[in-house]
Amino acid sequence: MNYLYIAAFSLLTIGAYKLSRWLFFRYGSPLFNMVFFGSVLVILTLIIFKIPYSMYEPSKDVMTFLLGPATVALAIPLYQNRMVLRKKGVRIIGCVVMGSLASVFSVILIGIGSGMEKFVVISAIPKSVTAPIAIEIAQISGGDPALAVAFVVATGTFGGAMGPTLLKWLGIVEKDARGLALGTVAHAQGVGMALIEGDSPGAMASSAMALAAVFTSIIAPLLVMILL
Amino acid sequence: MLKKTSLFVGQVLFLWLVYEAGNKIVSFFGLPIPGNVLGMILLFLMLLTGIVKVEQLALASNFLLKHITFFFIPIAVGLINWVDLFLQHILALTMMVLISAILAFYLTGFLFQYLQRRSEK
Repeated sequence: MNYLYIAAFSLLTIGAYKLSRWLFFRYGSPLFNMVFFGSVLVILTLIIFKIPYSMYEPSKDVMTFLLGPATVALAIPLYQNRMVLRKKGVRIIGCVVMGSLASVFSVILIGIGSGMEKFVVISAIPKSVTAPIAIEIAQISGGDPALAVAFVVATGTFGGAMGPTLLKWLGIVEKDARGLALGTVAHAQGVGMALIEGDSPGAMASSAMALAAVFTSIIAPLLVMILL
Repeated sequence: MLKKTSLFVGQVLFLWLVYEAGNKIVSFFGLPIPGNVLGMILLFLMLLTGIVKVEQLALASNFLLKHITFFFIPIAVGLINWVDLFLQHILALTMMVLISAILAFYLTGFLFQYLQRRSEK
């Protein structure tokens, strides 16, 4: 019986993914962001049929089995853009570190200042990190993986949709600087926007995304220990 | 077809082994970073040193990276437990996401642009 549930929920989730993927590529609206729209579809189905989350959970473990290998494969785009790092490595790392620190510290300040629960703040700390690594960072420091995904998706969607315009308003016009900022803040969605601006900003964004993930994973647990 | 399938499975298995190696090393030495980050760094080093070639992993890595967003859906379904919490903090959470993203955008972009312009002079 258990296997039947797992099969049914996996089919439901794959269907929701396929549908939102199709809608996203058809209409290109951030509303159809695959994680956002896909998970809303699944959640609504569970609510409508009064299925408790505990029944869905075992299928989650089956479906995410390949997430680990997929995350390791993120080394490949980083490797393919290694020339960028070879030329301006120190400068790039320095700027990504500063940007990541700004992100992490502002989350902690606003979170504590507005009286949020500790685990909510912790889950939000890695919100500019690509989702698979953000989930791990949140879990290691005492946050919740689902909340972490929500913050990551919200940041990526805002940063991807508004980032290019915002950077223009802020006076950041140099192409590589824009790419670097997009990758540091808005991870994969930022990389997508940076690629539209050109190959070089795309490579900057892709390297920035990986560096931000590594750097944040090192400092987040320490900061949580000291500050929270 | 069969050859392609076994190649795919083999590549996934290799990525999975690197992932597990990352996890094992992290827990053995009590390192404060996630195992998957170390796995990623390990694969990056293997590519740099030429132990592994990108083409040898192309089939599996292209597929997994193309569909990596799929994996976040089942995880995000867990939000069903936090609906009340979200509604309770909706304003602060929105401000947090927006302000922190704008600050990080500005600092990263401004710094890099400044350094670029300075070195061009």
